Formats: sequence, structure tokens, C-alpha cells
Amino acid sequence: MTARGDIRLRSGNQMVVEGALRAGCRFFSGYPITPASEIYREMTLRLQARGDVAIGAPDEISALCYCIGASQRGVKAMTATSGPGWALMIEAFQYALMTETPVVVAVVQRLGPSTGGATQGAQGDVLLAEFATSGGYTVPVFAPSTPGECFALTVQAFNWAEALRTPVVLLSDKEVGMTYEALDLGALPDVPVVARPQAVGDGYRAVAFTAPDEVPPFAPVGGPLKVTLTGSAHNKDGWLRKNDPETLDVLRHLEAKIAARAGDLALVTEDLDADADTLVVSYGITARAAREAVRLARAAGRRVSFVGLLTLFPVPADALRAAVGPAKRVVVAEENLGGLYRRVLAGALPGVELAGVNKLGGMIRPAEIVEAL
Amino acid sequence: MTFLAQRPMPYCRGCGHGLVARRLDEALGRLGLDPGRVVLTTDIGCVGLVDPLFPAVHTVHTIHGRSTAVAAGAVLADALCAEGGLTNIVMLGDGGATIGLLHLTQAALMNVDLTVLLHNNMLFGMTGGQHSALTPEGFATSTTLEGNWVPALDMEQILRGSHGGFFARQLATDRELADVIAEAIAFPGFALVEILELCTGFGVPLNELDGKALRATAEAEGKQFGVRIRRTDRRPYHALYRERFPVRAAGPPPATRAAPARAFAHRLTRALGVIVAGSAGERVQTAAAVLAQAAVLSGLCCVQKNDYPVTVGSGFSLSEVKLAPEPILYTGIDAADAVLIASADGLREVKGRRDLERLAPAGVVIVDASLAGELPPGRALAAPLRSTLTADTAALGAVALLVARTGVLERDALLAAVDALGGKDAGALRAAVERGSTLTG
Repeated sequence: MTARGDIRLRSGNQMVVEGALRAGCRFFSGYPITPASEIYREMTLRLQARGDVAIGAPDEISALCYCIGASQRGVKAMTATSGPGWALMIEAFQYALMTETPVVVAVVQRLGPSTGGATQGAQGDVLLAEFATSGGYTVPVFAPSTPGECFALTVQAFNWAEALRTPVVLLSDKEVGMTYEALDLGALPDVPVVARPQAVGDGYRAVAFTAPDEVPPFAPVGGPLKVTLTGSAHNKDGWLRKNDPETLDVLRHLEAKIAARAGDLALVTEDLDADADTLVVSYGITARAAREAVRLARAAGRRVSFVGLLTLFPVPADALRAAVGPAKRVVVAEENLGGLYRRVLAGALPGVELAGVNKLGGMIRPAEIVEAL
Repeated sequence: MTFLAQRPMPYCRGCGHGLVARRLDEALGRLGLDPGRVVLTTDIGCVGLVDPLFPAVHTVHTIHGRSTAVAAGAVLADALCAEGGLTNIVMLGDGGATIGLLHLTQAALMNVDLTVLLHNNMLFGMTGGQHSALTPEGFATSTTLEGNWVPALDMEQILRGSHGGFFARQLATDRELADVIAEAIAFPGFALVEILELCTGFGVPLNELDGKALRATAEAEGKQFGVRIRRTDRRPYHALYRERFPVRAAGPPPATRAAPARAFAHRLTRALGVIVAGSAGERVQTAAAVLAQAAVLSGLCCVQKNDYPVTVGSGFSLSEVKLAPEPILYTGIDAADAVLIASADGLREVKGRRDLERLAPAGVVIVDASLAGELPPGRALAAPLRSTLTADTAALGAVALLVARTGVLERDALLAAVDALGGKDAGALRAAVERGSTLTG
């Protein structure tokens, strides 16, 4: 056990690796892409050093498919990429959602669209992460803003992937992933590790649930219980069916099991002022500038609250509504055009004036947020 | 025993897919495999309707073309993270082989221990008879009504080029197909059996061709039948992997040296932003890392941000180091307290970023003496960094000079940081710290 006070310089990407290993990840497959390559490299060295599996894939589609196959065999798996690679993974990601296969995809955002800027940060894949899935399904998306949060949220991402049998996105960016920061490795949060619910005994069905929000117990491919998996719409036995009531129940269940746990999934950091007239909301790297902006504004006599979103989806709507309090105005700071997450909040916070601080090609500065307050 | 369900085949009358399913059943029975240790991984297309025909084995119906990759992940996880011994058989069509070709070649290159049954009816059947990359020249499909004018991929040559261990080409009607499938499954490594069929829905109506002519058509293309590749010189991927990477108890994270017991003093009362700029490959980020590590050893909070063009080894290299007595929120440096410029590349980048215009009041600029003429007089401290030190240690020398001039950290903190970072050139870096501390402008 590392002693408290063991302060090291660690990048966000390195702490994603530490989190994955703490969570019990034994299978990684990656394809090189800046700014996520450090996760690929370090996972490869660390997993190989202990005899677990790290495979270089010939493309991002292969990388995620290898992980899905490994997870269906019962092994915790992760891949890491950036926007262009994420775009390629989306079909396989949906397959993981449909087959209730736990898997974690770390998406380290960079400037887009297209090749964009490989070594430039951005928060442009926020909605592409959540709405990559056809049909209105909720995919858990976590957004760390520090190396320490990278560690804790990677463990959470694995835990929720396992507990809910779902793919999960860990969404950071170049500035979070590739910036080194002094971190006390002895004081990392002790997040308990969760394993997927295992099926036992007779009467196993591929998609067993009574209430739609139950998570069906998992049986590994190649294990004693015969497994039937398919990316096609299927009944509770896992057989392809078209629009029979049970099949539609299964489709609704895929959403219900996550939506029902939205409250438990909601992770935020708060710095609230009960008399605030304005609430600043941010996430990822910009949350750090936003906290600084709140500090500066308060020093100038303003009454301002702050919420940093560690969970982007499901939207922590209850926490946000509570945080608004008497504030008339919510300012959402994020590094993209038009305010991608602000558009989502417009639905979650009706009747509140929403303003945005947005920027492209560079980190938002605290002063730019202060100006908007 | 039989693996095949007693139920009607879901295929069109005369379709070869049903024959392949029967031959697979015979092969599995002949091999005496435990159905609980057998996985059928199926692709999209008519071939993907096979799952319910094999109720005792595991079935994984995947997405178009990706069956081989999903199966490879399962096989490797089974062999390396579980008990091993899984038999995984991929069932895909020529359409799946077209879109998923890279997964096939990669599995062959790696020699992943799985078997692929490529049902080649020379067109996309389920979607209306469109041509694939395996449609022969002259073969009519719904999208090449006058006959395909592009030759077909030769999977044998693809497999040879991918160092595949086992390849066979058969007709679905061949009597020996079950034997060949059994041999492919038993083969320790990647095995692919290409099975030629006619699609009765689209291939037969559009072409003057019957089953007997199928072999002749393929042979006219130069394709040969039977087991064509049988290599015993390659071991499966998982065996090589395990030999190279034996199972070891998870140890502590590597590359962490014990933190020095001694803490150093600092003279910071607020955050200090330092920009170190130079040329790629000239240890600019190392110089910044020494400063950052020294800050840690002095009990400060610290962030280090590196920037470089997409080509790692040419052009500029720049690091931003922010040190502070309090936790750092915003990681950027909007108004630097110090800008250290070790080369012309670094100066160009700093000018482009306008770091000098944005310098904090009382900010310090240290520049290599060779570049002094490119800055307004009196603006910067010009020091003989590159001539007194080396190109590779000029940036670290500038860091040492900054520390000596401002006294924000102890020089010994820099030396301890060099030791903490380790590396084979620690001696040269220590020397640079010592020389840099004594430089004068």
C-alpha cells in the first residue's frame, strides 16, 4: 500500500490507467491516436507485465470488438481513443449496449471536426458520446477534470459498466489527459470495486428480468450456462424477434435499467451559496477554470454558486435543480461551439435563464467566465 | 451426438448454407467436443440465421463483418485470462468478409486460434443480390447485371500474404467438407475454409450456372480446391503471448522511486507560471519536468502542460509549468511570470503565442544569447545557454538560472529532482543545473 504523502507528477491519462487496474481491468486493446495514446502504451506495459492481455488492434473497430469479445467471455475490458476513433467505434458500442456487454471506452477529446487538431484540447464530443446510440438510450458518461478524478471516475466507469451491464464512456480531453499534476498517490479515494451480477443454476435465460429496470445476471460465453447473444432485437431468450411484446420489453429494459439509477449515477462537485444570483455549471477541463472564476467573482463581491459535473449522463437533473436555488441565471462554460451541454440543460432546467461561455481552439480562461457572470 | 436442432432450415430451398450447417454438425460430432466449450460467432446476412440451429453451443450473433474480431477477443480472453480451450467458429458470408477483411487478415497474422467458415455465394444475398469483393469477373448480380467487371479477391492469396496457417477451398456440396471443417477446427491457430455456394435467390436466376459449373467457374479464375495451406511452423498467438508475458502477481506501479525524505524550502506566496520553449528533441520537456518535480519536492502544488507540433521530433517544443502554494484550479498560464527561450524554434513559438506581450508585471524573460538581437533591448536576460551548456541542456540551464535569479526554489531541489526523475543522463542534467545556476547575462 502506498503511503500517504507519496506525491508524484501524474497525467490524467496515467491515472485512467491506475483506475482501470484498480477496477480489475485485465484486457485492453488500443489503436494509436493523440491524445489517448499514453493510455494505450501504459496499459500495454502494465497488463503485459503481469500476464494479462493488451493487444494492438489494426483499427478502432477491432479494438472495441476485441474488448467486447473478452467481456462476453467474462473479463473486464477497456479501450481508449479520441474523436476520430470514437466515430469508428460507434456501431460496436451500440452492439455492446444491445448485448448488455460491460465495457469502458475512454474518449480523450481533441479539436474536431475530422482530423481537427491532434494536440489541441476540446469538449466537442459531449453529445456524440451520449447520442451515438440509435433509439434514445442513456449511456453513462463521466467527465473527469483532474488526474485524481481520472482515477476515481475510471473505477466508477468500470463499476457502473459491470453493475448495469452496459458500455460506459469516460470522457476527458487533451488538457485533462496529457497535463501532469502533483498528486498524492497515498490519498487516492478508496472506491470499492463492483463485479457484474453472475447467473447461477437452472432456468437461466439470456435476458432475465421481471421488472424492466432489473439487470439480468451475466453468464460468460464458454461457461457452463449456454449463452445466446445478438445485436438484433431479441426476446428474453436472446433470440431474434420482430416487434413481439417481449422483444419490445427487452428494448425498453435497456433504457429502464439505467434511467432508474440516474440518481445513484449522478456525481457532481458543488460549491454553493444559498443566496447566489448565478450558478456556474461546467465539466472536464473547463470546470477548473470555472471554479477559479467563481473564486474571483466572490472576491469581487458577487454571490455565485458552482456545480462541476462528474457525471454528464444521465443528466444529474435533480442535483442541478437543487443547486440552482434562488439563482435566476445559469452560466454553462464548455469548450465547444454553441454550448452542446447547455442544449441538454435547457430541457432539464426549464424557466431558468441559460447563458453560455464557449470557445474553440483553446482553454476557456477564468476571466472569460467572470465576464459572463 | 448431433449438435443440430431438429427443425427446418431457415434458408431458401437449395441454398448451400443448410449444407454447411450439416457438415459443421458432423465435424463437431466427429471431434467429440463439449458443446459448452464451443462458440458459434455469426456475422450479419443469411449466414447469421444459423444460431438457433445449434441450441447446445454458445451463439454470439455480431455486427456486419466484425464477427472475427469479437471471436478473437473471446478466444484470447479465454486462453489468457480464463481456463482456455474454447473452440470458436466464425460463420460469415462474402459480404462480411469484404467489410471485415482487416479482421480476417489480422487474426491470420496473429494466428488467433479460431476457425472461419466463409460462406461464399459471391454476392450479398439478404439485401438483394449486390456484388461483393468476392464476386467473380463476369458474374451477374443485381448491381452488375451485365456481369461483374472487376476480378474477385482470392482468399488463398490473402491468407498467404497474412501468414495464415490453414486455408481450404471447397464446394458446399463436396463430400469431404465435414472432414475439412473438422481439420480446420482442430488446427491449432487461425484456419479459414472458403465454401463456394450458389445463392438460389439471386445468383441462380441472374446467371446461367448450376452447381456443377461452380467448380469450373472458380477454376477458370485460377482458384484451386482442397486444403491449400497447412503450416505447422507457427504457434497460436496466445501460446506466444504467454511465453513472452508469464502470469505474475500484480506488483506496485513501475517507475516510481522512493520520494526523497528531505523537503526543500520555497519562497512562493502566489502561483508562478513558467514557460519553457525550445526545439523538439532538445529536452525542453525534461527541463520542465525537473522544475515541476523540484516544486513537488518543495511542497508546492504543480501542473505541467506540454505542447508540440504533431511531428514530435521537429519544430518547437514548449512546456508550461505552474507552481503554487495552494491547489491549482485553472491549469493555463495567461500571463507568464517567466519565459525561458532556449532556441530559435522556441522564440518563434513564444512570439506566435504572444507570451511576451502577455508577460506578467515584473515577469522575467531568459533567452539564449544568440537570439538576443531578436528581442527589444532590455527586454530579456540574454545568457550563453547553448554555448556554455549543450543544445540538449540549454533549457534546463535556463531553468536553473531562473531559480538562481529569483530564489523561488532551492538549487538543491532541482538537483534532487534530477535524481528523482532518474534516467541515464542524470549526470549531464546535474551538471546543467550547476552550470546554469552560475550563468550571468
